[in-house]
Amino acid sequence: MIDDETLDRQLREAASYINDDGFTARVIARLPAVRREPQWLRALIVLGLALLGTGVACVIGGGHVVREGIIEFANFPIWLLLVFAFGCGLVVGAFAVIFAIRKTPEVRDLTRLDF
Amino acid sequence: MELTDADLVARVLADDDQHAFGELVRRHQSSVRGLLRQLTRTDIALADDLAQEAFLRVYKNIRSFRGEARFSTWLYRIAYNCFREDARRRKELVGVDEDQWQAEQDPQTVDPGLRHDLMHALNLLPLHERTAVVLCCQNGLSHDEAARVLEIPLGTVKTNVLRGREKLKRTLAAWGPN
Repeated sequence: MIDDETLDRQLREAASYINDDGFTARVIARLPAVRREPQWLRALIVLGLALLGTGVACVIGGGHVVREGIIEFANFPIWLLLVFAFGCGLVVGAFAVIFAIRKTPEVRDLTRLDF
Repeated sequence: MELTDADLVARVLADDDQHAFGELVRRHQSSVRGLLRQLTRTDIALADDLAQEAFLRVYKNIRSFRGEARFSTWLYRIAYNCFREDARRRKELVGVDEDQWQAEQDPQTVDPGLRHDLMHALNLLPLHERTAVVLCCQNGLSHDEAARVLEIPLGTVKTNVLRGREKLKRTLAAWGPN
């Protein structure tokens, strides 16, 4: 009687590779269509919401809030403005890096970060 | 560098990348169709329909794949569930009883050739033993992985593999070349 190892080997050899013969194509053809909004539509929505938010802020504040804010900014010392700009850059950059890692599986696996 | 199954799954998850999913199907179609052909006793058309259904389910439910097991283990489990549901619908989940198995192992009724004999003997095993043998001995899954696929206790898998192997050995010994 044959041993387990020989039997397993014979079983593996007996199971010959099944050629694809269009199987993958048939599966792919039956996949549900990917629903994805076009990029320009996303950008338009974000821009529209930003403009709407600004408009609402102006209307509620009577317009003078924005003007006074700009004047306040203008009175800040230059070094403070530089620090503020640098801080804003860091925050935006950090978000960009996080978003890029989330979108790139290879990098995500490499960093082992769970976003 | 060739992407791993985990990389491809990640691409499908991140971007609904159907090309990546296509690569997963290409990689695993042979083993899944082979498993289902064994389970359906070489009914090729039915096995391929079930394999197609299994891959579609994998795509629809890929977000529930947590990566705790190998992708292939998860895939086999879904394929096995497809088979089981279909068998339940057809009321065929009974396997071959021992008397029938004994009756059918007459050496005169089979063609010569080890491969043919082996596949024939495999088809004569009861479903639970055949499934365990195909998963563990043919497809190289560990007993633990097979237990996950079949959703049965580890001890039951080991017993089924052991009994299946013994029957195959006896059959092959009776039929000739080894």
